[in-house]
Amino acid sequence: MIEFYNQILKQLIVLQYQLNSYISTIIRELNDENSLSNSFLILGIAFLYGLIHAAGPGHGKALVAFYFTSNKASYKKAFKMGYIISITHAISALIFTFGIFYILKTMFRKNFNEMTSIAMQISAVMIISVGLYLVYEAFKNRVHKEKQITISNKSEYAVALSAGIVPCPGVMTIVLFCIVLKHYTLAILAAITMSIGMGLTISIAGILSILLNKKAGSFLDSRGYILEIIGGFLIIGLGVFLFTTVGHK
Amino acid sequence: MKIIISIILFVSMIYAHPHTFIEVYPTITVKNKTTEKINFVWKLDEMTSSMLIMEFDINSNGQIDKNEQEHVYQNYFSSLIDYNFYTDITVNSKIIKFPDPKNFNSFIENNKLCYSFDIDTNLNINETLFDFGDTDFFIAMILKKEFIKLNGAIAQVSDLDNDFYFGYRLELK
Repeated sequence: MIEFYNQILKQLIVLQYQLNSYISTIIRELNDENSLSNSFLILGIAFLYGLIHAAGPGHGKALVAFYFTSNKASYKKAFKMGYIISITHAISALIFTFGIFYILKTMFRKNFNEMTSIAMQISAVMIISVGLYLVYEAFKNRVHKEKQITISNKSEYAVALSAGIVPCPGVMTIVLFCIVLKHYTLAILAAITMSIGMGLTISIAGILSILLNKKAGSFLDSRGYILEIIGGFLIIGLGVFLFTTVGHK
Repeated sequence: MKIIISIILFVSMIYAHPHTFIEVYPTITVKNKTTEKINFVWKLDEMTSSMLIMEFDINSNGQIDKNEQEHVYQNYFSSLIDYNFYTDITVNSKIIKFPDPKNFNSFIENNKLCYSFDIDTNLNINETLFDFGDTDFFIAMILKKEFIKLNGAIAQVSDLDNDFYFGYRLELK
């Protein structure tokens, strides 16, 4: 099983390495004659790159998984949350990249890393708060099942925004590369298509968690709040882990 | 059970996540089963390179000049000691302290930022392994057999199985 997992891991890395190399070559070769065909190709690769890249940390998969494992929801909601995260992710990456590039200009790399660290800390605090809120609400409403549904709707946005606020370094790198080569529109379009790919991966994590919840639901039916409390604690743990990891960097 | 395994796999793939790719080109001279000269050239991916070149090439002349070299070494390269320069050298099953890099040079080649450095150490090739990888997995080190230049030995490259991050192992025979 571990060998199989390592093979998948290797293939994911090799694929990202190849896509990274391929996309940078095409962006660099972009000119007036091939602009339309190459632009579509770049956007297609950006989508694929996002799909694979979102298998990485900081993209909210663990958070989404914990959330949907412990809260009853539909597949539609998983898609909605996946896409809120990835869109927030891409918007924050665009704002950070354009902001740092045009406002700060110098010491880009240093600011790039510092800004990402600050955003990760803010995100970690938000995640911890969401976790605390979920535990509190699950405990408080353990006998009022209907009320839980309304609260879950509210907390979905909080979960999605807390995960998405961290700008994706992968998107930032592509955006910056396009800006350096003066392909400004392409920078924005690549960020959007990459986020569509990422959204799909994050949504799949949510759907798998909902499937797990449904299986567990038949055993726990009337005691679903236990799962919610466990999920809340897992989310708090994830937030603490993120916060301490950033703090050590 | 299948679903649980799928979720664990999916969530644990959080480590499949490098943002920077570095190709490693080792050049090693071996005499009497002992390393005499070891040089590594790192070639950073084009996207990361473009970002770093923008910062390193202060006078924008398309190359890293002498004073710029010093800046790169002091501010960017030397601090990688904290990561063992993404290279674990294992001798008799023990990871040794990474020797101080010598003759550091950074240059631009085909739009890629490259670092070149030597390490001064005589290692018995039968007892030594070179493992390339980043435990944080922010960097992916890429080693291919065709990247290696060897004098006096033959190279064997294998996948480095670390469970949490991916890397490559170089053995000399």
